[in-house]
Amino acid sequence: MSSIQELTTKEKPQWCPGCGNFGLHMALKGALSELGIPKEKTVLVSGVGCSGKASHYINTYGFESLHGRSVTVASGVKLANHGLTVIAEGGDGDGYGIGSAHFLHSFRRNIDLTYIVHDNSIYGLTTGQASPTSQHGMKTKSTPHGNLEMQFNPLAVAIAAGGTFVARVFAGDMAHMKEVFKQALQHKGFALVDVLQPCVTFNKLNTFAWWQQRVYKLESAGHDPKNKAAAMEKAFEEMSSNYSKIPTGVFYKEERPTYVDESPQLASGPLIGHAVKSAEIEKAFEEFM
Amino acid sequence: MEFIWKIGGEAGMGIMASGLTMCKAFTRGGLSAVGYPEYPSLVRGGENTFQIRVGEDVHAPLKKNHLVVCLNRPTVDFHREQVYENGAIIYDSSATKIEPGEFGADKALLDVPLLRLATDNGGDVIMRNTVALGASIAFMGYDISLLEQVLAETFARKGQQVVDQNVKIARAGHDYMLHNYKAQMESFKFKIRKKSDSRKMVISGNEAIALGAAAGGLKLFSAYPMTPSSSIMHYIAQKELDFDIIMKQTEDEIAAVQYAIGANFAGVRAATATSGGGFSLMAESLGLSALSETPVTIFLAQRPGPSTCLPTWTEQADLKFALNASQGEFLRIVLAPGDMHECFHYAARALNLADKYQLPVILLSDKYLSETFFSCAKFDMGVKIERGKMITKDMKPLPLNARYKRYLITKDGISPRPIPGVIGGEHVSGSYEHFENGYSAETFSVRAAMVDKRMRKINSILKEDFEMPKLYGAEDAELTLICWGSHKGIALEAAKILNSEGMKVNVLHFVFLFPLDAKNLKKLFRKLNRTVMVENNRTSQLAGVLKEYAGFRPDFKLLKYDGRQFFPEEIASEVKKLKEKNWKGKKEIHVIDNLPYDYLQAGKVER
Ligand SMILES: Cc1ncc(C[n+]2csc(CCOP(=O)(O)OP(=O)(O)O)c2C)c(N)n1
Ligand SMILES: [Mg+2]
Repeated sequence: MSSIQELTTKEKPQWCPGCGNFGLHMALKGALSELGIPKEKTVLVSGVGCSGKASHYINTYGFESLHGRSVTVASGVKLANHGLTVIAEGGDGDGYGIGSAHFLHSFRRNIDLTYIVHDNSIYGLTTGQASPTSQHGMKTKSTPHGNLEMQFNPLAVAIAAGGTFVARVFAGDMAHMKEVFKQALQHKGFALVDVLQPCVTFNKLNTFAWWQQRVYKLESAGHDPKNKAAAMEKAFEEMSSNYSKIPTGVFYKEERPTYVDESPQLASGPLIGHAVKSAEIEKAFEEFM
Repeated sequence: MEFIWKIGGEAGMGIMASGLTMCKAFTRGGLSAVGYPEYPSLVRGGENTFQIRVGEDVHAPLKKNHLVVCLNRPTVDFHREQVYENGAIIYDSSATKIEPGEFGADKALLDVPLLRLATDNGGDVIMRNTVALGASIAFMGYDISLLEQVLAETFARKGQQVVDQNVKIARAGHDYMLHNYKAQMESFKFKIRKKSDSRKMVISGNEAIALGAAAGGLKLFSAYPMTPSSSIMHYIAQKELDFDIIMKQTEDEIAAVQYAIGANFAGVRAATATSGGGFSLMAESLGLSALSETPVTIFLAQRPGPSTCLPTWTEQADLKFALNASQGEFLRIVLAPGDMHECFHYAARALNLADKYQLPVILLSDKYLSETFFSCAKFDMGVKIERGKMITKDMKPLPLNARYKRYLITKDGISPRPIPGVIGGEHVSGSYEHFENGYSAETFSVRAAMVDKRMRKINSILKEDFEMPKLYGAEDAELTLICWGSHKGIALEAAKILNSEGMKVNVLHFVFLFPLDAKNLKKLFRKLNRTVMVENNRTSQLAGVLKEYAGFRPDFKLLKYDGRQFFPEEIASEVKKLKEKNWKGKKEIHVIDNLPYDYLQAGKVER
């Protein structure tokens, strides 16, 4: 088991003061620590964006992939060694924009990963262009006359695409974040946690106060995360309530065999320990005769 | 002793399976066969063919045929000029009309009721092919029992009844020929006979690559379908349980190469396969592998480009793309095997090199090499797996006092690489330039030192692993054909033709295409006499590379980019023409096939 301190590298975070990423990472390290997951058996794969540096600040194995490609590298890691705890992180542009194809297929594939999306409704690192979760009408550097596109709904898409763990948290609520991260880490299957967070520098619309006034917890509203129809309804509440009520917590959860569970080759243990089947390969030569 | 047989029909008629059966029957008789399929990009219709050149030691297809089985009318049209003098044609007049003399008066037109013999013997329409195989074997004087053996083994899984029926139908074709075309058989002078009982493989380049990779310790293969690479995926998928390999079809090629990078990062040998279009999508990840120093192996089966272009035909036009894909300057290894043993051997080798040097390795084949079948001796399993400086749990524990230096500056540029699970090895790898400990660096001196460190690996590659191109034939040849990858066998056959006509020609074949040992190459080039570059592309890409890295200029360039590989006789004929002109002719010659037919439309081109 590793303490939060042991899970923290000496590298100085390059995030803006007040960024939600600080709290997010504190909560994640807290979750890992409380669950007693050894750091050498944890791999955190990040994409590119402000969240991309996540893999530098946590003292586990880390891999900083390309923009939009954290889930893909993470999936390869998990198939190679399913004894590891594998976490993928990225921004809203990273996961819902450039990496959207991977996002979509991850749910039906159900590889046991925890996918944390730093959803600040903006392209932060590239200094403030519109992202897939920017609201309709929102003014950004790339949409100075207002965003003409509708906001992407990651939760509804995740549920529709076959997600087995679909959650959303608010970066302003550390304790809740940690609780949901713990559930996501313990979930057997692909777990999405969309983290609502302000971008203190570039998103002037969705500020801490803006979120704070609107978010509420599904747990305290009696939501049953096993009820898919209710989950779907909750996923649309943000928009249907015209942004007056934004639910957070676990929207949907379902037990389904993971990709690893259903791979006969992996029944005997992680792929990393498997020997080359020389005799079988040699036997195959005969089939060409 | 040599024989060229061909069968043609439309897609869906089972042309490929028949060809493969026949290849095996020849190989079992101690002969050497090349089974060469051609097909357009469609699922039904079009013109599909399978040609087998069989002899004592053959390495490439030739253009013309001794015996052609025409299952449809387009096969007649397409092959009117493709049958040797005094050759023969098998067809079924109930399905295909041929006018007497259409192929020339010297040809034997053998009308065999293929459909009737199949259905009369309880088979369905598709089994007309089996009748044709039996009839062909009779006509060429080969041993029907070898075909029966292959049929029996092919259908063994389906039960004795299916075996018996196939054998009976093949026999029916065989006997029909014996009873009805005795005179024609006697005057047909091309024959092929069994030499000995032999157990050799009949295998395609892609299957050899898949087996080589498996033997080289491949454990995860992630890919997205794209002709002509897909049969690597199909073979591994079919064998994934036996070989204990995970075959993962992904949503696109970006994910395919990324899964492989992730698995390699975690210490499992992983590779992907694709063709040019998919490789374009992988380009960014190629750089990720290079910068993060995570091994990855890519099997790149070329087809003509740019864009979708000609999906089922062949070209060697992605060499410079393989050498230069992705932004920035970084080292990669590019290999191009030339025959089945090389496909097997270098697929395994690619995985070793990727691990040893922690960089991307690209193995180049093309539609011709990937999908053509060759008889070859059983592969040697003696593949040694070398993981380089990978650190695993069972090794000496790492010190725990400081952050692990994943990118430690070393003399050979290679840094020890602990994999997840190793205590004390925690580090971050990735796409950003970094300090030795993996943290992002924007310090100029560090940046430059890291570029140098990664580039420095070239020294060990050249010293320990580089292989000079191989020279086949007489050292003092008057002329050298220079080629790479798939064109090895083709150039060897061309040299054979030229040598049999009194010239002294050898072949220089490149497998190792990058990095190149300029010093030794320059020495080698100085020893060569007249040189002819033979490349299946428009711009002579290898010549460009050799000029850049070894200051070499060939005397002549023979180029072909019409969608097909060279045929040996085309090379031989162009070389002879050059000689006739006393080597004063054009320096660059384009060989284009003027066959006036379209494979997709299966008809005459009228545009
Ligand atoms: C292929 C590619 N395209 C564009 C970029 C430039 N880029 C870097 S981060 C980024 C967007 C980041 O937005 P988001 O994913 O929302 O992350 P944030 O910075 O907001 O956390 C872009 C476009 C890149 N690195 N790679
Ligand atoms: Mg963002």
